[in-house]
This record gives sequence, C-alpha cells and structure tokens, in this order.
Amino acid sequence: MPKSRRLSNAASRRHLLLPYVLVAPAIAVLLALSIYPLIYSITVSLQVGEGWGVGNFTRLFSDNFFLTAMVHTFVFAVAALTCEFLLGLGLALLLNSHIRGRGFFRATLLVPMMLPPVVAAIVWRLLLNPNFGAINGTLKQIGVDTEPLTWTASPVLAMLSVIAVDVWQWTPFVFLVLLAGLQAIPQEPYEAALIDGSSRWQTFRYVTLPLLKPAILIVLLLRTMDLLRVFDQIFILTEGGPGFATETISLYIYRAAFRFFDFGYAAAMSFVLLALTNIISVFYIKLLRNETRIS
Amino acid sequence: MLLLLLMVVMTSCSKDPQQSSRKELTVAAMAGPEADALKRAALDYERQTGVHLNISEFPYANLFEKELIDLNARTGAYDLIMLDDPWFPTFATKQFLTELTPLLQKRGQNGPDADFIETSIALCRHPYQTGSLYALPYVGNSQLFFYRKDLFEKHSLKPPATWDDVLAAAKTIQEKESGSGMYGYVMRAAQGNAAVADFMPIFWAFSGEMFDAAGKPTVNSPEGIAALEFMVQMGKYSPPGYASFNAEEVGAHLLQGTAAMSINWPVWISKFDDPSKSKVIGKIEFATLPSGRKPGQAEIGNWLIAIPRASRNTDTAMDFLVWATTAEQMKRSALGGNPPTRKSLFRDPELVAKFPAYPAQMRSLETSRPRPRTPQWNEIENVFGIFLSKANSGALSPADAMNQANAEIEKIVQRGQ
Repeated sequence: MPKSRRLSNAASRRHLLLPYVLVAPAIAVLLALSIYPLIYSITVSLQVGEGWGVGNFTRLFSDNFFLTAMVHTFVFAVAALTCEFLLGLGLALLLNSHIRGRGFFRATLLVPMMLPPVVAAIVWRLLLNPNFGAINGTLKQIGVDTEPLTWTASPVLAMLSVIAVDVWQWTPFVFLVLLAGLQAIPQEPYEAALIDGSSRWQTFRYVTLPLLKPAILIVLLLRTMDLLRVFDQIFILTEGGPGFATETISLYIYRAAFRFFDFGYAAAMSFVLLALTNIISVFYIKLLRNETRIS
Repeated sequence: MLLLLLMVVMTSCSKDPQQSSRKELTVAAMAGPEADALKRAALDYERQTGVHLNISEFPYANLFEKELIDLNARTGAYDLIMLDDPWFPTFATKQFLTELTPLLQKRGQNGPDADFIETSIALCRHPYQTGSLYALPYVGNSQLFFYRKDLFEKHSLKPPATWDDVLAAAKTIQEKESGSGMYGYVMRAAQGNAAVADFMPIFWAFSGEMFDAAGKPTVNSPEGIAALEFMVQMGKYSPPGYASFNAEEVGAHLLQGTAAMSINWPVWISKFDDPSKSKVIGKIEFATLPSGRKPGQAEIGNWLIAIPRASRNTDTAMDFLVWATTAEQMKRSALGGNPPTRKSLFRDPELVAKFPAYPAQMRSLETSRPRPRTPQWNEIENVFGIFLSKANSGALSPADAMNQANAEIEKIVQRGQ
C-alpha cells in the first residue's frame, strides 16, 4: 500500500474525530458539575433512612412548614414581580423620552443593582431597625408615631419590608432591559401612528407594547426564576421571621440540609421547586416563541 | 493536552503536604475572641514543639455546616474542631468524634482534670454526664442576668431574685423613666436560637420541662403555657420589635442605656466598660438568673474542642488540646475575654480583679442547665423558636403557640425513632 494513502486515511479519521475532541472538555465539565450532581441528588432524595422510597416526597404534603413556605414564596414573587415590572416600565418610558438630565438619572438608577444582595440587605436591616434605624428616626422627626412600625418584627410589615427591598434592588434591572427594548424599536411605526392620528395611549397600547413584548417576556422570565429562589436578602433581613412570616422555600431547604442534616428531604424539596420553576419558565418561553414568530 | 497538564499539576500539588516533614494541625474555630485565644496559644505551642497550627475561623452560622459537611465526608481536613455544646449530641451520635479517654490514658491520666467545672465536663460526655469523653470544654459561657444597679437604687428596688420581682421592677422603671425612652426589660425573640435562649430560664423557673421521662414533648404543659404567657407579658416592657431581636439588638439597648434588665451572655460584660461603645460604664450589675417555682437556672453554652475521628494526627491533636486547656493556657484565654471552664481560674485573684462578675458567673455556670441532649436539637430548637417568636409577635396566643409547637416537636421526635 502506498504510503500517502495510509496517511490520508488517518488524516480523514482524525478529521472525523476532531469535533468530538473539541466538545469533549465542555461535556466533561458539564458532566462533572451539573449532570453528576443532579443524578446524585435524585438518589439522595430517594433515600429514606437506610432504605429507598418516596417517603421524602410524601412527607412534603403533610409538612405545614413546607406548604407555608411555598405560599410565602409565591406571595413574595408575585408582589415583587408586579411592582418591579410596573415601576421598571414606567421608568423606562420616562427616561426613553427626551427629559433633561436623563443620563444622570439612568446612571443613578443602576446603583442598587450593583450592590451585592447581602450588602444591600445589611444596609436595609440597619435602616429598618425599629429603635435605632434611620427610617423610624426620620419619621419620628416629622411627627409620625413609630411605635407600631416595627418593620421586620411584625409579621405583615416584615413581608412588606422584604418585598420592598427586593423591589428597590431589582427594579433597575427591569428598567435596564425594558429601556434597551424601547430603544431597539424603530421610528417608522410611531410615524405611521402619528399620521393615523392615534392618541398617546393608543400609540403605547398598539405600537410600543406589542413591539416591547419580547423584552418584557425575557425580563419577567429572568425575574421570576430569581424571585422563586430568593435567599440572601431574606436570610439577612429577617432570617425567615418573625416566627415563620417570611420564610421562603429556599430558606427552608437550606435549613433542612445544613441545619438539620436532612439532605434527602432538602433534595426532594429542591426538585419540587425546580419542577415549578420549569413549568413557569416553559410557559413564558412558549409565549415568547409565539411572539417572535408573529413579528 | 491541556487537561493532561492540569492533571499533572493537580496531582503534584496534592502530594506536596505529605512530602513535607513538618507537622501541622488544622483547626476549625469560632471567629471572635474564641479563635483569637486559640491563635495566641498556637503561636506558643509552635515555639515549644515545632508543630504548626492552621486555624480556620468561621462565623457562628457557618461553623456548624462546615464541620458537619467535613465530618460526614470523613475527609480528615480538620484535626480539631471547636463546637457549640448543643451540636455535641449530633456529632457524638453519628460517631464523628474520637474518644478521648484512651488518649488521656496513653499520657498517664485516668480522665479529665477534676478542676474542670462539673456542668462543663458533663457536656463533653455522650450520653450526657455519664458516658465516654469526646471533647474538652474550652470556653465556659452560661447566661447571666444583667440589671441597671443605678436605676434599682434610684427607685429603691431590691435586686431581682424572682421573676415576679423582675416584672414589678420593669413596670416601675418604665413608668418612672418613661420620659427618657427607657424600657424596663429587653429580650430577644427572633425565631431559632435567640427566642429559645431567652425563654428557657423562664420556662425552667416555672418548672416547665421540654420532654417527659419517656422522651415525649411536654412544652404545652400548664407550666409551659404559663411561662410563655409570662414572657409575652414581659414583652410589654421590652422595646417594640423585640420579636425580631438577636443578641446585637439586646446588647445595643443595654449599651445605649435604653433598657434596664436582660438575660445575656458573658461576652457582653467587657463591652459595658468600653467608653467608645458604652453609655453605662459601671452601672450594670451581673447576677444569677431569677427564680420562679424552682430556683433560677441559666442555659449553659460552652465552646468545646473535639478531635474528629477522621483526623490523621490524633496524638498530636490531643497533645495540643490538653496543653491548651491547662490552667496556665486557659488563663491567657480568660484574660482575652473568654470565661474559663476551670474552678481554679474563676477564683484566681488576678482574673477576679479584672472580671468582677466572675463569682456570679461561676455560680451561674455551676447551677446551669444544658439544652436537651438530643441529636435532633437543631431541628427542635428551630420549630420551638418559630412558635415562641409567633407568640411574641402577636401572631398566636401563648396556648396556641405551645400546642402547635408540641405537635411539631412530636413529629420530629417520631421521625428520629
């Protein structure tokens, strides 16, 4: 056999192998860092004592704390998402118009988002301290009775406080994405609407909103996923208290795993959270896909 | 190729420590004065023996999980661990710790020194008080009752000996000092450790018991409910928002001079004399806990040091542990602000001169009570704390809170069986 033939054979074989070799590191990293832990946590969630079973999953339904934590998570997520979206949209519309000093406002608005959540939460915890905090201090100066305003110590106010802190921190993100969406909208549809004599509301309703929809869906998807797994702010601000009033599912999972050493139960709860997050995300993504197909 | 290179580098790195002949011990310690004392001791020890100590410091919230994960994986990363005494039953039940008596015998000792406070050494045995020794006590904390001596004298109140005295004094002081923003009492009722720690002395004084002889929870006994009703009543004289207070808020109120009494830990004592922080220098008196139907008892909260079973340097670790808990070394730790666990040091003239609260601390420690010795304590304390906090934030009545707590604790106990 001529030497050149053998060589080209080997070369073509190498050619065929090359793509596999090139993706191998990425696959290996994924296997090691995501897929193996995922499979491992499934096996952990199915271990009950020394044996196997679905005990960890059935226990979920009789666990009042789990169910309450789920309710808290959804109350928190829905309330925070609504506020962040409405505020973010309003700010984006405002700063997309030609008001004076908008560069300054845009930059200032992003500050909360740049703080690490833990730092932001510590700052707020000091501000909200009922006795020495700046908020009650200021209110007292202008003559408000701060005695009932115990913020993180009253069950209802504590939930409002953690929602407010999240809104404060993450509205800028919603604003940023929506502003980018607004700026990507071309001028022509607006000119057409102007010629057709549509009102400002009609322009917003029938031109801006539909064209902004992809950006809206993306930001809602990202915020929903983040809100459902909220941990750091609440852990610092209230640690789930008072009592259980602000305990969300992530905090409860953390406690089960690292405080009570019940990794099986914690894994089972994590899978329920994962499933719920997935369902919601699929719903958003479907909407998004329909949207892009139309446009 | 790159991967291969990486592997070569990694394996060569992991071999390094074994090749070195220098002896090393790694310690997981509580960040703060506890670890500071250990660090000073480690420097001296290295000078004497050549053994180097790596001290990894963690804040309270992370220390437990770091240790738990390491002990469970049996990596042997730590040769010594500092642990809060309520964690001890969990670690001992899971057989994570090295039994110390054989190591002491190797050194010619039959058991721990008789100079250790009995209630402290009892924590280091599994089962409690009677079992084998798995740790030595390093820092001898137990709760104390703090009150403003000056205000008690001003309103001619006698030192509070019973909880009824406390309630009456809180009422008097708050009424007479209302203009200066003074609260009669300050407590912490954030869920978890905080609420439980401030409740236990009241609960015990009201002769409440968490479990009966058969191990069934009994927190909703009439005594238990009465104790919680009393705590909520005391809450009327506590600053608003106390249902979310932790130790820092309680300390802040005392330092700012806005509260007249509280239960607290010895770590705060030295801060009251620090002019940069304190407005109450010399005004606070330290006493043992008030009585109720039963004599007052403090909750004990000692820092213990143990040797993980997976450690590969048990003999060296034991040598350091014994050395660090000798009277001489512990005295240096005590001078740094850590209450000792040795009787001789509580009576040491130099220390008593520096820490006038020592006699009260020793009485409190010797009569103190541990939290129930169960490996499920973390979970039970969490649930109990949630309901105590709920009662104090007004979300539940004391009776409802105790009934629900009892039912949830029972679930935990059953799961463990």
